[in-house]
Amino acid sequence: MIGNDPWEDCPLPFADEDVLTAMQAIPGYIDITLEDFKELYRIAYDRAVKRIRESTKAADVMTAPVITVTSGMSLAQAAELLAVKGISGAPVVAEEGGIIGVISETDFLLQMGARPNRSFMAVIAQCLNNQGCIALPVRKQIVADIMSKPAITAFESTTIMDIAATFSQRNINRIPILGASGEITGIVTRRDIVHAVCKIS
Amino acid sequence: MHYFAKMKGGAQSPPRVGISEILWSWVGSFCGISLVTLIHYRFLEPMDMLMVIGSFGASAVLIYGAIRSPLAQPRNLVGGHMLSAAVGVAAYQCFHHEMWLAAALAVSFAIALMHLTKTLHPPGGATALIAVIGGPKIHALGFGYVLLPTGLGAVLMMLVALLINNIPKSRKYPEFWV
Repeated sequence: MIGNDPWEDCPLPFADEDVLTAMQAIPGYIDITLEDFKELYRIAYDRAVKRIRESTKAADVMTAPVITVTSGMSLAQAAELLAVKGISGAPVVAEEGGIIGVISETDFLLQMGARPNRSFMAVIAQCLNNQGCIALPVRKQIVADIMSKPAITAFESTTIMDIAATFSQRNINRIPILGASGEITGIVTRRDIVHAVCKIS
Repeated sequence: MHYFAKMKGGAQSPPRVGISEILWSWVGSFCGISLVTLIHYRFLEPMDMLMVIGSFGASAVLIYGAIRSPLAQPRNLVGGHMLSAAVGVAAYQCFHHEMWLAAALAVSFAIALMHLTKTLHPPGGATALIAVIGGPKIHALGFGYVLLPTGLGAVLMMLVALLINNIPKSRKYPEFWV
């Protein structure tokens, strides 16, 4: 194959001997070389994955109903809600309804000194170096102060291929899904995409 | 891949077939070639006609020896031979004053036409070439060469393939008709 070979680092799920054994198991002269078979396999597999990604919509993989936080919640309340529900982020809705942002671990970490690479380890390093954590200023803030806005959203009919592209382009991990009338009907995370693609293979 | 690196090959040769496959290839080709040469020598040659051309030997390899191959299917066998025969006759009639050119055009256009019509059958190249280099007896047939020996011979070889290749449980012919 020429150029951008997505299989370069990805071994085939069978060894050459497996294919040769299969060829011997089929009576008759199989008019194809091992290399041609492998190339056919790769192209057909890539096509199947693409087809399923294109035919799978957000509505098929999203988690629903979705847990939301309100923009006026204190960060302590919001963090506790996320912790209790065992999730790492949620859409933010205004008091009068309507999605206005998304809040996640990353937003908290950024407020707690996680720059520049937004990692939990950066916060730990800061705590250990400064004899105490700098969570204090965060205590008085509310969700609206630190959430990521505006919210990046998708629709139930968006393909998971487009959602995967959005994840990597915008460097986000979850995307609220809107119904036809603009209400939040679910949420898709990176994990949902991985599970959807694994079900295929 | 670089031009010279491509010449190294590197892929493995496919495994050898089993004994029964070898046996049935033998039986099929023996019967197929027997039929056309018997008709040729017993009935047609005395009437100054032909039933067999050299390219049938090559067809036998495919339709009795590699029967799953797309190249060996009836569409390719009959279509490939007849189209190539027509191309060969046309090439000879237009360019017989320049035999090398007639021969080259016959084979190259036969291959192109077989590709275009999804009837690629390697022995077709020989059928086209024979139309040019086959001598006065072949030349005298004109476009009749397409039907006899080429078309009828290919159909008879195909009938034998249908009868013989479907006897063993391990074989099935054809994979497709058209």
